[in-house]
Amino acid sequence: MAEVILKNIKKVYPNSEPKEKKGLFGKKKTEEEKPHRTHHLQITDEGVVAVQEFSLDIKDKEFIVLVGPSGCGKSTTLRMVAGLEEISGGELYIDGNLVNSVEPKDRDIAMVFQSYALYPHMTVYDNMAYSLKIKNVPKDQIDKKVREAAEILDISQYLNRKPKALSGGQRQRVAIGRAIVRDPKVLLMDEPLSNLDAKLRNQMRAEIIKLRNRINTTFIYVTHDQTEAMTLGDRIVVMKDGFIQQIGTPQEVFDHPSNLFVAGFIGTPQMNFFDARLALKNGEYYVEIDDISVKLSEEKQKRLREKGVKEQEVTLGVRPEHMNISDKGIEGRIDVTELMGSSCHLHMTIKDKDAIVIVPREGNIENHMGQKIHLDFSGNVAHIFSKEDNHNLEY
Amino acid sequence: MAKQNTAVKNKSISYARWGYIFIIPFFIVYAIFTLYPQILTVYNSFFEYYRDGLTVVGPRFVGLQNYKTLFEPGAAGYVPIFKYLGNTVWLWLLGAVPQFLIAMMLALFFTSTRLNIKGQQFFKSVIYMPNLIMASCFAMLFFSLFSQVGPVNQFLVSSGAISTPINFLGMQVTVQTLIALMNFLMWFGNTTILLMAGIQGIDESMFESARLDGSTSTQVFFNITMPLLMPIFIYVFITSMIGGIQMFDVPQVLTNGKGIPNNTSTTLIMYLNQFLGISKNYGMAGAVSVLLFIVTAILSIFVFRTIRADNK
Amino acid sequence: MKSNANKTAEIKLLISRIVVYAILIFLSFLCLFFFYLMLINSTRSNAQLQSGFTLIPQNNLFKNLYNAWHDGDINIPVGMKNSFIVAMCSALLTTYFSAMTAYGTYVYNFKGKRFVHLFILAIMMIPSQVSAVGFIQLAFKYNLTNKLWLLIIPSIAAPATYFYMRQYLQATLPIDMVEAARIDGSSEFKIFNQIVLPIMKPAIAVQMIFSFVASWNNYFMPALLLNKPDKKTVPIMIATLRSADYSKFDMGKVYMLMVMAILPVMIIYIILSKSIIKGVTSGSVKG
Repeated sequence: MAEVILKNIKKVYPNSEPKEKKGLFGKKKTEEEKPHRTHHLQITDEGVVAVQEFSLDIKDKEFIVLVGPSGCGKSTTLRMVAGLEEISGGELYIDGNLVNSVEPKDRDIAMVFQSYALYPHMTVYDNMAYSLKIKNVPKDQIDKKVREAAEILDISQYLNRKPKALSGGQRQRVAIGRAIVRDPKVLLMDEPLSNLDAKLRNQMRAEIIKLRNRINTTFIYVTHDQTEAMTLGDRIVVMKDGFIQQIGTPQEVFDHPSNLFVAGFIGTPQMNFFDARLALKNGEYYVEIDDISVKLSEEKQKRLREKGVKEQEVTLGVRPEHMNISDKGIEGRIDVTELMGSSCHLHMTIKDKDAIVIVPREGNIENHMGQKIHLDFSGNVAHIFSKEDNHNLEY
Repeated sequence: MAKQNTAVKNKSISYARWGYIFIIPFFIVYAIFTLYPQILTVYNSFFEYYRDGLTVVGPRFVGLQNYKTLFEPGAAGYVPIFKYLGNTVWLWLLGAVPQFLIAMMLALFFTSTRLNIKGQQFFKSVIYMPNLIMASCFAMLFFSLFSQVGPVNQFLVSSGAISTPINFLGMQVTVQTLIALMNFLMWFGNTTILLMAGIQGIDESMFESARLDGSTSTQVFFNITMPLLMPIFIYVFITSMIGGIQMFDVPQVLTNGKGIPNNTSTTLIMYLNQFLGISKNYGMAGAVSVLLFIVTAILSIFVFRTIRADNK
Repeated sequence: MKSNANKTAEIKLLISRIVVYAILIFLSFLCLFFFYLMLINSTRSNAQLQSGFTLIPQNNLFKNLYNAWHDGDINIPVGMKNSFIVAMCSALLTTYFSAMTAYGTYVYNFKGKRFVHLFILAIMMIPSQVSAVGFIQLAFKYNLTNKLWLLIIPSIAAPATYFYMRQYLQATLPIDMVEAARIDGSSEFKIFNQIVLPIMKPAIAVQMIFSFVASWNNYFMPALLLNKPDKKTVPIMIATLRSADYSKFDMGKVYMLMVMAILPVMIIYIILSKSIIKGVTSGSVKG
């Protein structure tokens, strides 16, 4: 139940001090811990910059999702909010108080770990009661709270078991239970679902949405899975290489990706990209590709005009579901067709690049391998990115 | 909402200082009870410092005199330190060679899926047992059993194998054999278990593919098992050697500290112990200790090498 | 023809099995025989012992036990008490502080952490005898001989136990667990005592046993430091048996004293041999 404000937060790992964190579970984490190995993080004299210029105002009771590929700095950011990681620069406020130097135990936050991090020698009940016991909460109150949380998460019947005797999904619930018994100001979740199998993950995702409606608290949720981000978040923060790429509601991020990376990262199957030309004819913007020239929607026209965008070579992005089979337009070859129930996915090669097109099943003329078809799209779904710096020319 | 707007120096949620707090007891105790005495040992080795009856001689700085004395021939015509180092290595070898051969053999038996030995837990428990026996007590037991009036001689005489009791504790061959036998018994179980763990650490599919390729079990041993086991084998071997250099309890008690006969079973540490007894010859004892340190340091470097190679 | 080849293989296997079991039984016999003789002899009177050799227990067990317990020169009850105090306290201190040190270098990132770890590994190989000269000198200088605590306190700094604990932590304690406890509001010491120690229970148990046994059997240093009869530990007493005039002894009593010296360790071993044997490998082999 608190606002969280991050102002220009920065994290630098000094080069001299290699992070040595090994755990049986923390495979994902190890990757994040050594970002410089696989990613293009900035390296300065101070060390490897894992997060920088991170500014975000999180409203009370908001559900924020930090999403990005591994090594993008999302977990580091979360751990800085938790107080597990020192903040190298910037300011962090929880509930109006500057907490940069406050220890985690005094921040009134709770966290759910990817590995669950349940205490193996304690029963489920004791796991959940531990934080309250430390705070010297009276026994009967602890009991009440633990049972309430267990009720919410449907784990009442396992309270006397040890974590070893639980399934993955049950452990996950206990981990969440341990976090919510304390009524924390902020609930942090670090990839809580990535150790579960696909079916359980979908189920738990729904549970988290339900949970979110039952308890009044601010959520910060880290994931690399864009579906989780889209379905859970009030707002999504897309990160890459230590920088925020875009902040917005799922709809905003999906409809108006601010750059090529966000466009490619959010949405599945991935957006298709083509080389195209942005043309200006009689004050109207067109995208020209192959033999078609598509006039952009009024909304887009307005934004481009306001920014005074000039004619130029661009990267055109169109989502698979926004492409239509047509008589003329972009030419491509069908490699594989996949029937997905109500729709059909066409895996294609267009201009030597892979692309996917989703077409409705009914309108689907007998497509087969090797067939050449033409595709077009309408002016309101075309995303235009600069060739120079990959940003969305509309913004 | 922002109650404080000034930039804050971020220091306090670093946990680094806790690392120091957790390791400090170890280092305080180590410094006082081990490191300082060690330095003192080295320091002493440059001084004449001993007790003669009730008078204390020294401490008087004598430079390397103690080391010189150490390498000078004694009254009996030999250099004691060389002889005792030689004794130590010899006694260790006498026990260690059968110890490693038998342990290797047992480790192969126990890990063989073809032989499929039953009752492994029992056999392992039995052969490891002597390792936990109080060495001084073990030696005393052997002394009692092999004394001239002890049960072994009684048995040999009454069965007619010999006519007069054998003086096991009076002859170099038998004393050394008994010491080696005790060391062997105390350590072969331990070695077996370690080598077994090493063999079990080798990917089973290696053996399987070698066997399917048509290798005989001898070929598997020399081409697969031994090369892959080598780092662990060397590790176990050198740690055994380091332990062997420190051999003390068994020969000390068996020979009552005298290394009978004629100091042929006196070990390096027994020699050190003599200096630390009534004479409290800290100078000479220091010099022996420094030598001991150098020998083990050289051996330890080999251990670290093998560990490092293994980790790669 | 085929079944013939199979048959020879079967016979070969059977023969090798017989040979292997014979070897195992012989070695087991060798390991047990001397201790069996000791046990038998501890049930015999001095006269019986002089008269000859036997493998059958006799009736003097309780007499020997009584004599050994009440011996005028060798006060075995006091020795066992002293040994027990030293061994027990050492075992407790060495495991607790080794676990603590291992935790310190495993969980926290501090300057010089790598150096600390390597330093402890390096000193692991230095024989304890190297510090003996200085140690004895200091003990005599400050009049600390015959103080049992002087044998106990140094066990706080046990490099080998540290190494074992560190390996164990690396294999079993995810850092997440520590962080979860931090967020739960636990202090660093509470995390160690309430979360980490219980997780390390198996390692602590194994190391306590090894430390207890090593300390119980330790002869070199105690023999140099303890000379008052009421402070001596068991190994010193056993060694004095050897140096005393042998011929005037009641041998039944002597064997009984030896039985008593090794009995506590043997009892522990019989109960816990499985985990002890497991412990032999888990700490030592892997670098």
